[in-house]
This record gives sequence, C-alpha cells and structure tokens, in this order.
Amino acid sequence: MTLPTPAHGGCDEFAVDLTDVRKTYGRSIRALQGVTLQVRAGEIFGLLGPNGAGKSTLVKIMMTIVRPDSAHGRVLNRAVGSPEALARIGYLPEHHRFPTYLTGRQVVEFSGAMSNVDRPTRKKRASELLDRVGMGAWKDRPLGVYSKGMRQRTGLAAALVNNPQLVVLDEPTDGVDPVGRREIRDLLLGFRDEGRTVLLNSHLLSEIETVCTRVAIMVQGRMVAQGTIDELTASSRRYEIIVEGSPPEWCGAGATIQSIPPGQLLAAGITQESTRLVFLGLDAQGAQPILDRLRSESRTIVAAQTVRESLEDLFMRAVTDPNTGLIYRPGSAT
Amino acid sequence: MIQTIAIFIAAYRELSARRLFWLAISITLLIVGLFACLGINESGVTFLAWTLESPFFNTTTTSPETFYKQLFVRLGIEWWLGLISTLLALVTTCGIVPDLVAPGSIDLLLAKPIPRTRLFLTKYATGLLFAALQMLLFSTASFVVIGLRGGAWEPSLFIAVPIVTFFYSLLFSVCALVGVITRSSVASLILTLLAWAVIFTLNFAETIVNGGRIANQMEGQMIEAALANSQDPPDEETREELTTDLAEVKAHEPGWKTAHFWLYSVKSCLPKTTDTLALLDRWLIDSASMPARDASSTESVQEGFGSRRVRGTSIGTAVREQQRSQSIWWVLGTSALFEAVVLALATLIFARRDY
Repeated sequence: MTLPTPAHGGCDEFAVDLTDVRKTYGRSIRALQGVTLQVRAGEIFGLLGPNGAGKSTLVKIMMTIVRPDSAHGRVLNRAVGSPEALARIGYLPEHHRFPTYLTGRQVVEFSGAMSNVDRPTRKKRASELLDRVGMGAWKDRPLGVYSKGMRQRTGLAAALVNNPQLVVLDEPTDGVDPVGRREIRDLLLGFRDEGRTVLLNSHLLSEIETVCTRVAIMVQGRMVAQGTIDELTASSRRYEIIVEGSPPEWCGAGATIQSIPPGQLLAAGITQESTRLVFLGLDAQGAQPILDRLRSESRTIVAAQTVRESLEDLFMRAVTDPNTGLIYRPGSAT
Repeated sequence: MIQTIAIFIAAYRELSARRLFWLAISITLLIVGLFACLGINESGVTFLAWTLESPFFNTTTTSPETFYKQLFVRLGIEWWLGLISTLLALVTTCGIVPDLVAPGSIDLLLAKPIPRTRLFLTKYATGLLFAALQMLLFSTASFVVIGLRGGAWEPSLFIAVPIVTFFYSLLFSVCALVGVITRSSVASLILTLLAWAVIFTLNFAETIVNGGRIANQMEGQMIEAALANSQDPPDEETREELTTDLAEVKAHEPGWKTAHFWLYSVKSCLPKTTDTLALLDRWLIDSASMPARDASSTESVQEGFGSRRVRGTSIGTAVREQQRSQSIWWVLGTSALFEAVVLALATLIFARRDY
C-alpha cells in the first residue's frame, strides 16, 4: 500500500504541530496547560506520561472528541479537527468498543465508509488489511467471538482502511499477549516504512523505546520532555570500564588522564575481584586514553561500554518531584 | 452520502442483532395473522373453523368489508399502533442514543470526518427507521388481509405509516434527549414513558375540562332559550328556578374558561400524541369510508357530564366535533415544533460535550 501525495501545499516537516493546547474540565481540573507537541512526518512518536497526565485528552483534542479551550497549530497541515485532516488520520482509541454483532470485515468496511472511502476500495482494503494483521481467517466471524488481542488487530485494520498519513494509536497492545505485541510492533515499523507517521500512546516503555524515533513525556498537563531518546538521555550518558583487581592509583581525587578533566570520573565501585570505573559524559572515543593507560599498567579489562539512562529511568526522573522525591499525583488542579 | 448510508446499514444490523427486533416483527405478523383468522358469516363471528353466534355481528347486520375495517380501526389503530407497537418500538430503540455516546464507541465515530450534528441527527433518523418498518409491515399485511378477506382494497391504510412514525418520533425525540443526557437506556425508556403518561394525562384533563366548559355553555344556552320561549313561556315557579340555574351557570363559566385556557395553553406547547393518532382516524374515515370510532376520552365525557337539560351524548358529540375540527397544522405543527425544540436541545448537548 502506498500513501497518496498530499493534496496541499506548505511544509510537511511536521505531521502534528500543536502549540498552547489548553483544556480545563469543569472549573478546576486543568488537564492541559499550554502543551506543545511536534511530531515529524514519517516517524514513530511515543507519547508518555503517568495516568492523568493529559495524554488521552491531547489525543482526543486532535481527534475532535474533546473540545479544547485553546489549540493552535496544524495537523497534517490543516486546522486541528478539520474534516480534511480527519479523513487522512487513522485512529484506534483505548478501550474501543466495536459492535460485537459485526464481523471483522464489517467493522473495517464501516470504518472506511465513515471516512468516505468508496465501496469497492474499502471492500478490497478490508480483506487486505485483515490478512495483514493476521485476521484473514476470522474476518467473516462476529467480534463477539474474538479475543481481546484479535479485537485490537481488527481495530488496527479499521484504523488503516482510509490509507491514513497519520496513525494515532492509544495503547494498541493493551490486552495483547507477548507474541501479538511483537507482531503489532512489526506492523508499526511497517507503517513507518510505508511513510506513515505514527503517534503512539502507550504505558509500555520498552515498547516505546524499541519502536519510537522520538518521545514526549507529559506530567500534570505539561510537556516536560520532548526529543529523541538519545537527546533526552544524553545528560546521563556515561562510560563504564570493569577491570580486575583494585582501583588504579590515579583514581584518587583530582587525578587527570590526558584530556579527561577532573571530576569526570563519577564513581569507582570495588568488589572482591574487580573494579567498576564510571566516567560521566564520556563516549567510546574519549575513553581510549583511559583504556590505553589501563593496558599500559597491565590491567585486565573485563568489560568496557557506553551506558546511558534507560527510558524507564528517564520517565521516572520526569515524573518525580525533585524537591520531595515523590511521584507527581495524577492530574493538576488549580 | 456514503456516511449516511453506512450509518443506516449499521443501524439495521444493530436492530436485526437484537432479539427484541425480531420479537416485535413476529408479534406484528402474529397480530395480523389473528386478524386474518377472524371472519364473519350469517351466524356470527368466526375464528378459523369455529363460529361464535351473535345476533349483533353477522353478515346481515355488518358486511365483511365493514367488519374488517372496524377491526383495523378499533384494534389496529387504537391498541396496536397507538400503544403496543409504539411501546415495543421504544423498548427496542431506547438504547440507540446511549449506545452512540458510550465510551469507546463515540470515540470511533467522532474521529471520522463527519459533523457531530449530522452524526446525531442521522442516528436519530435510524431510530425512526425501525418504527417505520414495523408500521409498513403492519399496514401492508392489514391491506392484504382487508383486501382478501373483506374484499376492499384500501391503499389509504398506508397513511398509517407516516402518521404513526411521526407519532413515534415525538416520543423518540424525548428518548434521544434523555439518552444523550443520562447515557442510560433504562433511564431513557422510563423517562420517555413518564413523559408520554404526562402528555396523555394532560390531554385527558383538557378533554374533560373542555367537556365541562361546553356542558356549562350548552346548559346556559338552553336555559336562556327556555326563558326566551314566547310560544310556551315557563310558569313563574319554573322561571324562578331557571333564573337561579342560569345565575349558577354564569357563575361557573369563568372558572371553566380559565381552567380550560391554561390546560389548552400547556397542551399547545406539548406534542399532541392523542390528536396525532386521531388524525389517522379522521383521514381513514374520510378517505376509506371507515367506521368512526369514539375517542376514549370523549366517552368519558359522555359519562362524566350532563344534566337533566343537556344529554351526556350531545356533550360528547360536541367535544368530538370540536376535536375533529382542530386544524391539522395546529396538531402536527405544534407537535413538530416541540420535537424540533427537543431535538435541537439534544443535538446541542451532543455537539458541545466532551467525550
């Protein structure tokens, strides 16, 4: 399946370019407090955040399910919520509820009809997509007999029936077994390879880390981090070397090794048989003089590697109040 | 157009997936089947091979054509279309709007390029589809039965389809409003039935009070006529009695007028469910030479009012005549206005809500 050429002019760098998105429920629950979100065309973008952070509200505003107090910017180079943009978006909400009396094929075809896809096209795509998500053998059976994972796959097929440029998926692997999760992950990568943009809202950090090019973390209605995982974890990047025996003498305070400035040696962990040397902000190239020095001292190097913060560490850091060390509570009240 | 057709097809699938839909259709066919099994001969009324002898109902007193038309008007319209089938339709369709706005379901539709207003009104129209289908089935089957068994082919029976669908739409608009507010099928059904009961009671009260007003007016006119009778003037004692009665009648007149004015004013703002069905009666009687039926409310008037001077039946006739002379546009127009206001409110709530 190939994507249609955009029928509009203008810059296509961002599939989603939103600024100052605000939403208050009732008079006091400020779900979104001036959120900015930029998703580049053709990438898989992960939206992260604890429960009540405002992720679903943000996605629902994009899909016109929730009305914002304010929202500037564009989606697929159109105004937020415009029918033209919606016609080119595929959406699979969390806890979706397709009618259980419909067959998989009917669900996908209905979704296509609601996106104004003509009958022959949606019939053809329904079969193709259900085969692609592994539901080909079940397509003429009612959803009532499907498992949760099968419904998710059918939902994915329904989200793709209008050949969307932007696919918005809210917890697509919710309730899916590990094999199914792997298959959905491969599908997402396939979408990206076809040139589609994928906005993925998921709690599964490992899943996000595996497939996403860029991520954003929301906390209490605010965007606290946005960028590639490398960019976001750069500040925590370090180089670790494990050598046999006790720490080298030059590990003392103020010791320098050629270009390594004092203080860059973050820590030296000592066990009975080996020593772990941790160098903050150092990459493999920068570590070569240290490795040379260790070899010249006839030290046995057990391991040497670049280490960076995991997405989970990054996430936990983002959702933790640095002043109290406590996790931020869901939502934000005025 | 693709979206509208898709919503209608989905609605049909939704209805046909409900057992209640097929139950309602089956009951409709059963009723018409029973209708067809009834007959009339020279001895009395027949049911299949059995004959219930009757000196009042036989072919010497009633022709088969009139017999079947009577059955259609008295049972078909009054009981089946006006009450049971409408109840069945409400029970079957009361979940349409709550299901539409249910979490997980509404998200899938609102994310599509269709305006909320159109989505809601199309969904509302699909609810009427069921009622229309049921009425069409009943009317077609009745048309065939009256034609085959009664020997009269009356296409005007099909007037029942738009009229009863309109009648049903008045109640379904309330159901849709409650559904969009509460998101509950049970609440929608109960509150709609409650609204129907209130409308019915108000209509009944207006008819009764109108009967009282007319009876009072007729009483006054008769007393005045008796007092003014120069050919057979009343004696002094009767004249005194008549004068006292007239004063009493005149004293009651403002009360009746005020009570009727307020009831009529309130009724004007509400849908005329009873009057809408009475239109069907009126048109069928006029266009298909159907036998007239007395509205139950006017029957009550006959029993409840009347004096030694004014007969209850003449009051009932006067009330019925007044009802029949009501402008069709007043009946349909004010009802349609009520429906438009309720639907506009429901649409507004649906369109402005966050899901």
